Amino acid sequence: MTLLQIEDLKCHYITDTGAVKAVDGISFGLERGEILGIVGESGSGKTTIALSIMGVLPANAQCSGTIRYDGTELSSLPEHEKDTFRWNDIAIVFQNSLEVLNPVMTVGMQVCEPMVSHKGLSIREARKKCAELFSRVGLDTVWMDAYPHQLSGGMRQRALLAMALSCGPEVLILDEVTSSLDAFARKELQEMLLDLQGGQGYSMIVISHDITFVSSIASRMIVLYAGKVMETGPTQDVIRSPRHPYTRGLINSTPDIFIYKDMWGIPGESPTGEHHAGCPFGARCTQSIDVCRQVSPQLTACGDGREIACHRGGIATLMAAKSIEFSYHLPDRRSVRAVDGVDLDVGEGEVLAIVGQTGSGKSTLAHVLAGVIHPDSGEVSFMDGKVHGGNNGHGFGGIQIVFQDPFSATSNRFTVLDAVREPLDINDIGNQEEQLDMTKNALELVRLPSSDLFLSKYCSELSGGQRQRVALARAMIMRPKLLIADEITSALDVSTAANTLRLLKGLQNRRGFAMIYISHDLSLTLKIADRIAVMKSGRIVEVGNAHDVMLAPYDEYTKQLVGSRIGFCCHSHHNKKT
Amino acid sequence: MSVEQPVITSAPHPVNIRKMLDGVGNTTSKFTIEGKMAMIGLLIFVMMAIFAPFFAMYPPGKITGESLEPPGSAHLLGTDELGMDIWAQICYGARTSLVIGLAVATIAGFGGGILGILAGYQGGSIDQVLMRVIDVTMSLPSFPLLIVISAFLGPSIFTVIIILVLFSWAKPARIARSQTLAIRSQAYITAARHYGANPWYVIRKHILPEILPILIVSLIGISSYAIIAEAGLAFLGLGDPTSKSWGMMMNYAIRFSAIYFTPYWLWWLIPPLIALIALLLCLAFLSRDLERVLDPKLRALEGVK
Amino acid sequence: MLEKDTREFIARFLITLFVILAINFFLPRMMPGEPFSTTSSSVQGEDVIVLTEEQRMYYRDYYGLDRPVHVQFATYLENLATGDLGKSIYYKMPVREVIGIHLPWTMFIVFSATILSTILGIALGTLSARNRRKRSDRLMMSGLIACAEIPSFLLGLILLLLFSVHLKIFPLAGAVTPFAHYGSLLDQAGDIVYHAFLPVLTLCFAQLTIVYLLTRNTLITVTTKDYIRTARAKGLGEHVVWTRHALRNALLPVVTRTGFAIGMLMGGVVLVESVFSYPGIGMTLQTAVISRDYPLIQGILLVVAVSILLCNLVVDQIYRRLDPRVVV
Repeated sequence: MTLLQIEDLKCHYITDTGAVKAVDGISFGLERGEILGIVGESGSGKTTIALSIMGVLPANAQCSGTIRYDGTELSSLPEHEKDTFRWNDIAIVFQNSLEVLNPVMTVGMQVCEPMVSHKGLSIREARKKCAELFSRVGLDTVWMDAYPHQLSGGMRQRALLAMALSCGPEVLILDEVTSSLDAFARKELQEMLLDLQGGQGYSMIVISHDITFVSSIASRMIVLYAGKVMETGPTQDVIRSPRHPYTRGLINSTPDIFIYKDMWGIPGESPTGEHHAGCPFGARCTQSIDVCRQVSPQLTACGDGREIACHRGGIATLMAAKSIEFSYHLPDRRSVRAVDGVDLDVGEGEVLAIVGQTGSGKSTLAHVLAGVIHPDSGEVSFMDGKVHGGNNGHGFGGIQIVFQDPFSATSNRFTVLDAVREPLDINDIGNQEEQLDMTKNALELVRLPSSDLFLSKYCSELSGGQRQRVALARAMIMRPKLLIADEITSALDVSTAANTLRLLKGLQNRRGFAMIYISHDLSLTLKIADRIAVMKSGRIVEVGNAHDVMLAPYDEYTKQLVGSRIGFCCHSHHNKKT
Repeated sequence: MSVEQPVITSAPHPVNIRKMLDGVGNTTSKFTIEGKMAMIGLLIFVMMAIFAPFFAMYPPGKITGESLEPPGSAHLLGTDELGMDIWAQICYGARTSLVIGLAVATIAGFGGGILGILAGYQGGSIDQVLMRVIDVTMSLPSFPLLIVISAFLGPSIFTVIIILVLFSWAKPARIARSQTLAIRSQAYITAARHYGANPWYVIRKHILPEILPILIVSLIGISSYAIIAEAGLAFLGLGDPTSKSWGMMMNYAIRFSAIYFTPYWLWWLIPPLIALIALLLCLAFLSRDLERVLDPKLRALEGVK
Repeated sequence: MLEKDTREFIARFLITLFVILAINFFLPRMMPGEPFSTTSSSVQGEDVIVLTEEQRMYYRDYYGLDRPVHVQFATYLENLATGDLGKSIYYKMPVREVIGIHLPWTMFIVFSATILSTILGIALGTLSARNRRKRSDRLMMSGLIACAEIPSFLLGLILLLLFSVHLKIFPLAGAVTPFAHYGSLLDQAGDIVYHAFLPVLTLCFAQLTIVYLLTRNTLITVTTKDYIRTARAKGLGEHVVWTRHALRNALLPVVTRTGFAIGMLMGGVVLVESVFSYPGIGMTLQTAVISRDYPLIQGILLVVAVSILLCNLVVDQIYRRLDPRVVV
């Protein structure tokens, strides 16, 4: 049953430069006995939510909306009535700042204070209880008579926790409690909180920018951006398969959730509290459409206990392939089933890696998905239309391919300029000058010189790595929504491959196009892929979140594949004989 | 072949008068009404002092009228016990106050400031010694000592100025020192010195511009203090009898035995009283406004005291 | 072993004391001519002090003017140690006695003014901090600030002229009505208060604004601190938050400032006493200076300086014990 219900909370601060919006219409509920996590970056309004629940916002803050605790409407109560709920029913553990505790009162006194005030205990009884609380949070009771400045940051945080527990509240709000803690202290706190929830039945709201911490204790998670809720849902689901582009970006930016994946930030800056119409994330979103700039999306349920605020219903499916089959016909009337009933889909802005060994059919699948080869059966839909109409490479915002062999991907006789602007030329896009401009831009994207000298070089004069980048530029000039990269680094030597790959991933992150990355190299894909599909003999045997597939596969073949690593790495699960 | 270390000293550029005036104009325009009124008031006093012979109709030291004449057409503010024109005494008294204020402020302010900068920049034993001296100076009870010393050394404007300077150089020195220390620890100073800047460059280019505004504000404070001190000493009878200071006027008035039982105090005692208060209030409001206008810079350096 | 800070403080105290003693000692000896040879000194037509031969002998001996300087200084210190401050020329009594008569009056008005200005300053400052945005507050603040810029003796003079001369409510001079007979202790106390009222008021104004501003600003700063938010969140009630958490932190610097205020007032009390002809140590100093009563001057200077220094020392120690953040 819902213990704490927040409805349409709106808060803004009045400053010298006008009104700054902190929270813009947030609603959520906290069930009894659950731990709810609220994550967001600074400026997203998380602390404001905590303060408004407690009713201790600064004088220049104005709020509207209702806060209901156990049926009682808190926000409209007068101060002295709010005081009866404070600490008794709802307590907050503040972020450990320098002066969060009164510097001229002992820590013990401050912990006892609410007990005396709310529970009517005598000082002696309160001190006894205080000692119990101290030992529960792992503080030596000798610190009861110390002053706040004599405690270290971690100890102060525990004292704050002890203080919050002192009156036995139903709800605990924890505001950024890990920011001053080291790894050990963080782990201890995590265990302590889980124990409090399980053993003592506390309900908690954990507010933090530390997603890792929140995901380790919260059962449900809310993602905030610029004062609005972007996504909610069960923690594991939200982390493993985020539905909102912002959530995905946040997870990609956090190095210790998926530890093998490279860290990439979200391009752009957080909004600074000015008012704009439309979705607050719109400016940084790579899949935004017109309405995103005009109307703010509402939070709507999308199944499995999840909610999302997005006009496109979350990360939209860009390409969906159903029951694809394709066989090669050999001269001696035999046919080889290259693709044997494949279902696959790719979401906007996502990197899907298709991993398999030679002859697994991955390249063929790639060509089918691109529309270059017509499948025997099944269909591929891309955005609105079907793919094998074959014209998805003809214009902007379509599908582009980059091939494995750079020497055959580009013609020897073509100059760099001609090679890169070829697609524009073929489709009659733009005049000479515009094409030249776009070519230069594309070359700059892939970090090749855009000087006239370079433009007039023949492709035969370039190295393999350079030619691969020219091919990439050629693909990028058409601003694809989906890029299919077919083993693009296997013909390059190691450092060129590394540079090319980082370039590609950087482009992908910034431009937000989806990518199907085909490779036989597992470690590589772990670094860049969101999802991995393992292919064997024309079938997809396993598909899912990259880390799950690599680190906890369920399919036999996948396990063998993973086990075949012979790297230097000392992790046991790679060397374990399955 | 030795390699010459390039030393950065920018070519001495002429003090840009235009820029300074612009700066002054810019600053004063941000004043409040009180601030602007204070500036005007101060200017009036300065005019009064400089052009005293023109404002006053009679010389102050000469007996030009009946004794204790009430204010009238001949004597604007009446005359004192000896028959000397009071309005003239007020005008010339402005000279005394302003001269003392200016002299003490400039000498103590700049002298102290320079000492503070040097101590703060050099550090080491010079700094330690200066700190001790400043501490002791500031913990001396100034006014009683002032009375005693001026009593012993005899009254003269010169002596008074010297003593006042000795008592008021410590505060600007301390301020200058702490600001110098704060600036010296900044990374951009380290960078400049790494490039080869000599101490004079650093002081001229970085420290002086930062300190000057604060010093100027404290200058006004020092001149207020000096004016009050001189007036106080004169009031007690320890002032220079030849100087026509307002404090002396009040002293003479008070020592007139029946002063409180006669109406004479109205035109003998009140004018110097009001003149003093007016001048001090002008200085005070001016100082307040200046401080407020220069505030963003002050606030940035305020953490270090 | 005392803390480093305290050691430094005491060192500074001793050095300052020594400087004062040295000035005290050397000043009269720096005057042109022998200090006790002139028997006529026309100081602005004031009393001419004539020293008898006997007196001159006494002083010569007391000051040891015929002995070398360092011996003189030693004698001087020795005399001080035994509490012998010499004999006043003007009053013809031991300096110690003269000071003993007049010092209590000064102490009385200084302490009264300090207490009054502290209480009033804290009250007004608290009020001002709570009513920060209102027009009336801004007026009060400007008024008090303007008041503070007027030197105390001028303010005293205005009060004197207005209330004693013009309105004739308060007396013109003295600590008590001369030759008065009192019916009861209460009457005597009343008379004392009646005479002390204006001087105390004047001295009070001198400190009031500083205390007021300090209280106000400290309170305003304190109310933005995190621990006030914590206290509010604990549901302790506005009153407890204000007193136990806000005031306790804000008043710390104010209370210690009070101690320094005493020191500052002692410095300016001379002028105020002169204005009101109040027979405290200030007026005595003025008389002594005008009549060139060197022993008395030195004695008063010493007493004033030492009491100010003592005050500062006591205040510093109290502050260290009140604020747990300062290591004692």
